[in-house]
Amino acid sequence: MTASTTRDAARPGLVPHGWLLDRIALYLKRPAESIDPTVPLAEYGLDSVCALSLCGDLEDEFGLEVEPILLWDHPTVESLTAHLAELPDPLRGRS
Amino acid sequence: MTALLSPAPARARVAQIEAALGDPTEPGNPYGYRGLLAADRAAVPFAAVEDLLDGLGVSAEYVPQHLGGRLDSIETLVRVMRPLFRRDVGLGMGYGMHTFMAASDVWITGTPAQQEWLADLLLGGARAAIAQHETAHSNDYVRSQVAARRAGDGFLLTGSKPMINNLSRAEALVLFCRTDREPGSRSHSVLLLDPRQLPAGRATVLPRRHAVGLRGCLWTGIAFDDCPAPESALLGAAGSGVETALRSFQISRTVIAAMALAAVDTSLRTAVQFDLDRRLGGSYGSWTDPAKIDQALVGAFVNLLLYDALAVVAGRALHLLPEQTSVYSASLKYLLPKVLTKTMYDLSVVLGAGIYTRDGNLGIFQKHVRDVPVLSLGHAGTVACQATVIPQLPWLARRSWFAEPEPPAELFRLGTDVPPLDHARLSLACGRDSVSAALVAVADGAPGGSPADRALRTLASRLVGELRDLQQRVLALSDADWAGPRGAVSFPLADRYALLLAAASVAGVWQHSQGGRDPFLADPCWAAMALHRIARQLGTPVGELPPECGTRVRHELQLRFADRRSFDLYNTPVPG
Repeated sequence: MTASTTRDAARPGLVPHGWLLDRIALYLKRPAESIDPTVPLAEYGLDSVCALSLCGDLEDEFGLEVEPILLWDHPTVESLTAHLAELPDPLRGRS
Repeated sequence: MTALLSPAPARARVAQIEAALGDPTEPGNPYGYRGLLAADRAAVPFAAVEDLLDGLGVSAEYVPQHLGGRLDSIETLVRVMRPLFRRDVGLGMGYGMHTFMAASDVWITGTPAQQEWLADLLLGGARAAIAQHETAHSNDYVRSQVAARRAGDGFLLTGSKPMINNLSRAEALVLFCRTDREPGSRSHSVLLLDPRQLPAGRATVLPRRHAVGLRGCLWTGIAFDDCPAPESALLGAAGSGVETALRSFQISRTVIAAMALAAVDTSLRTAVQFDLDRRLGGSYGSWTDPAKIDQALVGAFVNLLLYDALAVVAGRALHLLPEQTSVYSASLKYLLPKVLTKTMYDLSVVLGAGIYTRDGNLGIFQKHVRDVPVLSLGHAGTVACQATVIPQLPWLARRSWFAEPEPPAELFRLGTDVPPLDHARLSLACGRDSVSAALVAVADGAPGGSPADRALRTLASRLVGELRDLQQRVLALSDADWAGPRGAVSFPLADRYALLLAAASVAGVWQHSQGGRDPFLADPCWAAMALHRIARQLGTPVGELPPECGTRVRHELQLRFADRRSFDLYNTPVPG
């Protein structure tokens, strides 16, 4: 599975920073390098559709079940990355 | 607590309220249309009925059973409140729903002490008021203009709320306010206050405002000037205001949209009576085509039935499938203007110039035409409902449609036991829908022998095709299509989905009425007519229905009118 190779490459965090930033850049329709990790994504125009889509992506790609209000509590790339790094790997411990 | 609550007394409570209110068309009835139209013209609450309902202890219907009230299920609440909405939407909202909406936030996030305080007040007949969002910013309550800043052991409130119903006579106030200057979803909190205890000079009630619809509601504003509020007033955690609102909207949207049907039930009854009087009086003009009138009346009846199927599903899903409810409640509320308001306009054709009558028994029709559309404005308006469904469409298309197993049969069995409401399980979005599987099940089922049954299966198959088409259209949109202005492509998709959910609800209700108590619901004729109307609205090519479908449903309409029974799924006795 491609997801597991990405994950291995991404230690210690489960979700690679680059993947996350690319996803957000896609939704915001702006270059990834123009996104300041400390600025709330809502200020770049990230709306509820994108916020929920991102939650869906995290589940599809990494098997992470995150609350749909993830971006309320972690509104910047920086805080989001930090939060995701703390989540337990859902596949660890499974056969 | 874990025992199933029997809704059996619901029918008895509905009968009690209907009997107390009496036949509204009777000119001598103090609780009838004559009195309520006069109150509406004077823009005052219909005091006689409010006193009567107070005497019956109706406010106990908003209080959960474990707090001493009679609220056992959302479905029961809807049934008990329909007699009010049948007569006067303003009464239903002003007497009932605004108090319930305020209370609902307290049942969701209040401490035991806050819950007991409010329960005691409501059981004593008090009203609660709710200040949700700024009307100046339309639906955008996130820009609410009351700020609460920390000061000592509590808060200081500054700013104003312009439209709060019943504020001047409420004994509890649920107030949404900003507690954090930063933008974002964690910047709002909810306070539970006693408006009578607010210090004079720090809190001022503003002059009353009048609205076009719901004229009897007492809308006033409130202005705060460094008004102190204790820390203990906080309802739920600081910063949880928006989340509480979104959770609570799932309940209030469902309940209000479901109750609103009763007003159109009255409009249909009024139109049937008008048509009957005209036929008996021989005053049919040469321009009136009786077949067209029949078609309009039967079409209105079918609209009520299909709308109620989704209303029943959304209401029961709150108990049985709480995680999935957000899409059902939003789709139901979205269909309110599209089905109910439109049905009233269809019926106005039957009345012709009679639509302009503002008094007598016909006047109630005109009043409902003014009041029902108001329900689709406000904080749970059409756009807010679309905004709930649209973000979930990609999830639904990828993981849920054609994958989710069928929902439990109890979801469709109206009036049967449901487990108690568990607010914690209401999800803001979970991207799952098992209701649509009911449509697939009926399409795949073995058809019975009758032409109506075969027609129903064929229609269900066509609509399953529409669901598959919808799925492909959603999947065909790239991730970037969902963002920015091009996201507009998703609006018609959400529209089609709402109609397909109604179709699936009809299929489920029909399927699970087999062998049940109501032979009409078990008959394929109404379900086939309902799916036919939905298919027409979606632009799906479908043939003519077997003639017995129209005959059977028209016969049921005439029977219920003559027998004084409601035109919803419950077929409830009504006094007139």
